[in-house]
Amino acid sequence: MQPPCKLACPIHTEAREYVQLIAERRFEEAYSSIRELNPLPRVCGRICTHPCEGACKRGQVDEPIAIAALKRFASDGPWRGRREAVLPAEPTGHKVAVIGSGPAGLSAAHDLALLGHHVTIFEAMPVLGGMLRVGVPAYRLPKDVVDEEIEAIADLGVVMKTGVRIGEVTKVSDLFDQQYGAVFVAVGAHKDRKLAVTGADAFEGVVSAVAFLQRSNQGQDPKVGRQVAVIGGGNTAVDSARSALRWGAETVRMLYRRSKDEMPAAPAEIEEACGEGVHLSVLISPIEILGEEGKVTALRCMENRLGEPDASGRRSPEPVRGSEFVLDVDMVIAAIGQAPESSFLAEELELDQKNHRIITKDAGTTARPGVFAGGDAVTGPATAIQAIAAGKEAACAIDRYLRQESPPALDPIGPDERARVSSAVIEKTRKFERAEKIRTPMDRRLEGFEEVESALTEDRAIGEALRCLHCFLGAKIDKDKCVSCLTCLRVCPLQIPKTNKMGEITIDPFDCQACGMCALECPVQAIDMDLHPRGDIVMEMTAAVGKSAHPDPLMVGFFDLHGNFGASDIERLRQDHPNVLPVMVFGLRRIDTVDILKAFELGAQAVFLAGCPVEKDPFPETRQGLKQSMARTTDLLNALGLDGGRLALCDMPEQGLVEKTFIEDLGERVKEMAPNPMRAKEDKP
Amino acid sequence: MITLEQKKFEDIEKMTKGCGRLLVLGCETCAAMSLAGGKKQAEALAAAIGMARKMSGDKSEVLYDAVARQCEPEFIDLTEKEVAQCDGVLSLACGAGVQLLAERFPDKVILPGCNTTFLGVTEKLGVWSERCAGCGDCILDKTAGLCPIARCSKQLLNGPCGGSMDGKCEISKEVDCVWQLIIDRLTKLNRLEMLEEIFPVKDWSPAGHGGPRKMVREDLES
Repeated sequence: MQPPCKLACPIHTEAREYVQLIAERRFEEAYSSIRELNPLPRVCGRICTHPCEGACKRGQVDEPIAIAALKRFASDGPWRGRREAVLPAEPTGHKVAVIGSGPAGLSAAHDLALLGHHVTIFEAMPVLGGMLRVGVPAYRLPKDVVDEEIEAIADLGVVMKTGVRIGEVTKVSDLFDQQYGAVFVAVGAHKDRKLAVTGADAFEGVVSAVAFLQRSNQGQDPKVGRQVAVIGGGNTAVDSARSALRWGAETVRMLYRRSKDEMPAAPAEIEEACGEGVHLSVLISPIEILGEEGKVTALRCMENRLGEPDASGRRSPEPVRGSEFVLDVDMVIAAIGQAPESSFLAEELELDQKNHRIITKDAGTTARPGVFAGGDAVTGPATAIQAIAAGKEAACAIDRYLRQESPPALDPIGPDERARVSSAVIEKTRKFERAEKIRTPMDRRLEGFEEVESALTEDRAIGEALRCLHCFLGAKIDKDKCVSCLTCLRVCPLQIPKTNKMGEITIDPFDCQACGMCALECPVQAIDMDLHPRGDIVMEMTAAVGKSAHPDPLMVGFFDLHGNFGASDIERLRQDHPNVLPVMVFGLRRIDTVDILKAFELGAQAVFLAGCPVEKDPFPETRQGLKQSMARTTDLLNALGLDGGRLALCDMPEQGLVEKTFIEDLGERVKEMAPNPMRAKEDKP
Repeated sequence: MITLEQKKFEDIEKMTKGCGRLLVLGCETCAAMSLAGGKKQAEALAAAIGMARKMSGDKSEVLYDAVARQCEPEFIDLTEKEVAQCDGVLSLACGAGVQLLAERFPDKVILPGCNTTFLGVTEKLGVWSERCAGCGDCILDKTAGLCPIARCSKQLLNGPCGGSMDGKCEISKEVDCVWQLIIDRLTKLNRLEMLEEIFPVKDWSPAGHGGPRKMVREDLES
């Protein structure tokens, strides 16, 4: 079963995997997991609309995991430079032309280059990145981030030509004459829809949002007025309004014809804009632009009320008779939708008459063999991740086309069914607050285009990752082994296992949060976990003991990952106490008597279990059981003549892995005991 | 179910000392449900015995496995190959299972790893209590579904005795007087008059007092 976050992502990002790796303080691996599928992880960590979060199971309990912020944390960290670059496959000899260097074009180029094809990107603008460069303002997406990710794609051998507008001199068909075996058209949607009101073309000071943002984002002064009206309610309108404030506009007013609920812009963006001082006027439509001496001076508007839902399902605005009013403005930015600039393709490809979108079939194929299309040019203005998905899909289709193979099979991952967590489980699930974003204070934002949001700090990121409920990584019951003893029903802190009259046990794989209790207690070993199964923990421990000689007294420490510590704390522990072998686990109740015996058998002089502070524990009700099982193991050690004092349980401090003196004290205690004879035996030749 | 508890490790270690290659054999019905002798407990016990042996310089191996029920010959026979490679078997089954093992493997040392405690019920995780003494002649119809044979310290049929105080048995304040419970329940069911019938002297021969019991169903026997 695939987790909902992955299913919701257009490129099926392994969100659950990298979130788990962050929780394990394995940041570099988290970055690798992200980068493997997504050539623009730092971009997506900032501007992705994160459909994954909308699908997140935690969202049914309290608030979804901040997956996008975690992506940014993993992708921004200094460890990203340590990832070993993936090298392109052997050159295939095929040449592919990509028209447009936005997210669709870049990701197609990236994947095609890795497959061994020679890729050239043709970009009409003088700069690379498409909307990432000229559409999204730098306070949301700094341009050095875009540069870095484009550079990494160029490093794969992708040739990038700017200022070349295909269709002007060179036509798409000409590219085939230049030995390009396939063409990917990803020109985006950079053409504004014109305001259909009287005076829209008559005065200076009336601009389109795309043109405004293009100037603004390239650092050219867009010459804002003092009183700016932005018309529209989408993300482009919000970007324009916030940018206008930064260029010094005194008042910026967004006019939207429906109510706030219908605004297509991300609610968080609207909130940011309002916080920065943008005025939001809803249920208002412009009806005429007024001007004097060729310059815009005012906007005649009308109030609306909401009527019946229209084709988009949103309630449509109906003008209120006699509600006309005039707003003094000296600049109007129209952000009422964009369409692809596809006229140059009209002769060669099939276009949708109304929106000028390129018509494609499966995997980006167009009416013309060898020409593929994707991104905003096909869908109309959409999200970066959708464009990346289109690019990746097209890359796959192009590769198969060039190899003369049949088109790729449809995505085997089924639709996301949005499983529901049962209300009883929701109630019992411990709630943890979502990590708060770190943002520049409002009063310092308008000084320029510095990025507003910062990456999560390490401790916030880890805490956030630990909120993950591990969809589908929980208990799997082997019905052939199960003897219906009902132990799982009795130990589950969330009461998820259910039985029927015949003793057939079922454990809902979506409800389960992989605490590990049932797997630990099942007397017939019929239950296993995918999250940190015991077998893996023992293997890791055995391998670590074997790997290097640990000074005496060797101690194995099992640490609950839910503790409040960072990657550097683990490093410091290794340095300060080389005799301690840390084993990190998602909850100490994964550790069984056998595992502790195994540690002693491997020669440990002491074993300790460090539990997270109770306020961090997702399953505090299991703590009592841990103490009981430790007591049982201690008795057994005493019976074995090993001295039960070698086994210790400690609580982690508020910050860090263990109290400062804990390890020394345990070491001292062990020194007073006779050495573990298992160790003595190992030492003998 | 038959409830079991694992013997103390010291006793197990002692009895298994020197018996060579050992198989710790779990029983995955009653013993598993008692969380005393399933495969999981067999694994842990085998590990502990193995460690004890290593520490004392005994190099002989300790293996573990489990079968569904050691009280069935067909299951036992499935362990034949494993047992053949061992010198002894530590059974985690009830006494019945241990004995059937001994019967099937006459040349092996067969040892009990558990004490068979009683026929009872699970009250909650980790708590079991006795309910049935297997007397062979059930009288629960006359005692409101509460068994005085299993639950009265004196096995009185016409109780309670004078030791019943505040609903508790004189042997311990922790033990309910089952006759008090019987009276309470019959009162609730409005059937208290049932106690006017005096139980005659019980025939204990179906309870085993007439020698070891055996049950033969002629309609089924092959």
